Amino acid sequence: MLKTLLEAFALISTWEVIIAMFAASVYGLVIGSLPGLSATMATALLVPVTFYLSPIAAIATIVAASSMAIFSGDIPGALLRIPGTPASAAYADEAYAMTRKGQAELALGAGVWFSAVGGIAGVLSLMILAPPLAEIALSFSTFEYFWLALLGLMCATLVARSSPVKAIAGMFLGLLVSCIGIENPGGVPRFTFGITDLFGGIEPIPALVGVFAVSQVMRAMLTPEPPPLPRRKFGSIMAGQWRLTKQYHWQMTRGNIVGIIIGVLPGAGADMAAWVSYAMSKRFSKEPEKFGTGHVEGLVEAGASNNASIASGWVPSLLFGIPGDTIAAIAIGVLYMKGLNPGPTLFTEKASSMYAIYLMFIIANILMIPLGIAMIRIAAYILLAPRSTVMPIIMLCCAVGSFAIGNNMFGVVTVAAFGVIGYVMEANGYPVAAMVLGIVMGTMVEQAFVTSLIKSDGSILPFFERPVAAILAAMAIGALLWPVMVWVWRKVKQPQAAAATSR
Amino acid sequence: MRLPDSVTGSFLVALGAAAAYGGWILPPVPGQPVGPNVFPLVIGTGLALCGLAIVFGIGHSFEEEEELIPLEHGQAVSPPPQGKLYGLRALLPPALLLFYVFAADRLGFIITAAIMVYVTTTALGAKWKLALPLAALSPFAIHLIFGKLLRVPLPAGLLPTPW
Repeated sequence: MLKTLLEAFALISTWEVIIAMFAASVYGLVIGSLPGLSATMATALLVPVTFYLSPIAAIATIVAASSMAIFSGDIPGALLRIPGTPASAAYADEAYAMTRKGQAELALGAGVWFSAVGGIAGVLSLMILAPPLAEIALSFSTFEYFWLALLGLMCATLVARSSPVKAIAGMFLGLLVSCIGIENPGGVPRFTFGITDLFGGIEPIPALVGVFAVSQVMRAMLTPEPPPLPRRKFGSIMAGQWRLTKQYHWQMTRGNIVGIIIGVLPGAGADMAAWVSYAMSKRFSKEPEKFGTGHVEGLVEAGASNNASIASGWVPSLLFGIPGDTIAAIAIGVLYMKGLNPGPTLFTEKASSMYAIYLMFIIANILMIPLGIAMIRIAAYILLAPRSTVMPIIMLCCAVGSFAIGNNMFGVVTVAAFGVIGYVMEANGYPVAAMVLGIVMGTMVEQAFVTSLIKSDGSILPFFERPVAAILAAMAIGALLWPVMVWVWRKVKQPQAAAATSR
Repeated sequence: MRLPDSVTGSFLVALGAAAAYGGWILPPVPGQPVGPNVFPLVIGTGLALCGLAIVFGIGHSFEEEEELIPLEHGQAVSPPPQGKLYGLRALLPPALLLFYVFAADRLGFIITAAIMVYVTTTALGAKWKLALPLAALSPFAIHLIFGKLLRVPLPAGLLPTPW
């Protein structure tokens, strides 16, 4: 244990890792603070750079950039009422109301402080949850993996803040994309239409870059430019945060726990965590009437929540290759590239690398406090950069980055195509996160599914025979039937309500 | 690009059916009941069923609640100008990426990238005073990072970089 920890320290105390982490932190802070550029997009654009780094340095950049970007989305949310990332959307109104009351320092300070605390809580959950789960997962057969994968896919309905049917359709689309190529049980070209470039299948990373980055540039083409940030002098940012921690320690803990749970659930990430925690804070608050008028309580809880979800999203990703959120989906791609294939054995064979990941998360969240304060102070200058200069650079990074992944132009075509797909899906209420879930998990789902079918030899009994498999099966079937039951229940209730009002 | 649910749903039905049929006609692995054809068959069927549900508005009742949550504050300050061709502007970024695919090998990275930057910047409403220097400088910066530091083999084309 101590030896592994020392090894982990040795892994991260190289100049490469330190520089990569610092640079990625600054990058994450800047991208996160620019409205319209999300944390997921920041991570996706980092991937081509990670090719040229050592495995630990590559993961360091993702860890640092994603944690920082989730916090710095709070900055334009508080100062402009425009969330920098979707994860800050839940409480942008509240933070802006505080700014108008002259409490910008308190709002932003709460953003930094409770983000850091939440991030560290998330790491602790990763440290505590992952190893015992890995222990259990070591004994999993393909049947357990099959149900686990199905359960993960069913979580697509969680990311739907609209119709669950559309979310499931999005998930199926993602699975269909993963079918393309010759990497299947028979090794036959499938859905390649004779195009050689498609034989290798659709690489998840260019697809994700397209869905998150190109589609965002496309949306920017149709939306008006956000207003510039008024320049202002800030007082002490961290003043009063300790008092808030003591006053709202219960809200903070609840935010951490909710964030961790939502992070672990496949597909649902920081934005969902913030919405749920903010709503929960209002629901259980002693003074709910103050919400919306510039009250810090909701900020504490939601800020603690969205950062906690970042680290806990790595739990299913590292253990099963099931992405806990869209950022973890990208991280999985990088892990595979770096020979750290997700799976329970990672925790026994590459234990020092896992410890290094924990340590990097902790360092990133501590680093967030000084860097975050600096960022708040210079935010007014960074936000001066007009969108018309940022978006073209992102376009170039998309083109070059996707080319770099396989050193062929097909990557660029993939990015463009998925930009359009992501844009059209988003515009019509199909959550892209569900499709991402399908794309990333597709190969694994098919493998577990087909191997299980072959092993069971036509009988469905083996799918339920093992106790863990039976439990997972019950959960998966429950999740499958839940939307149907809700729909039926509403249909039954509606005529009654209609009859009641007509009377 | 907001389409009615019946259109997107029907498209999904067609896509799902095509996928299922495509899976169906794949050759099976000899001596094995389950091969590469099963998975597309299952997915295609699922997709088609989802498409049908969307066409008939099942699950649509969940969507109304969401309209209440204001997602993008402040962005709706001024209503965007509405023209027939205005919506097509969204297609500019993917079109430029395709332009990159076709032109980069012939024109070289620097020239292609400069054109992309200039067009995107102007399309986002910047004046040429901003767009021109940006288009002149940013390709070199990107080339320095990706081409020089990260050793991505970017095409030199007509205008090779000085390094």
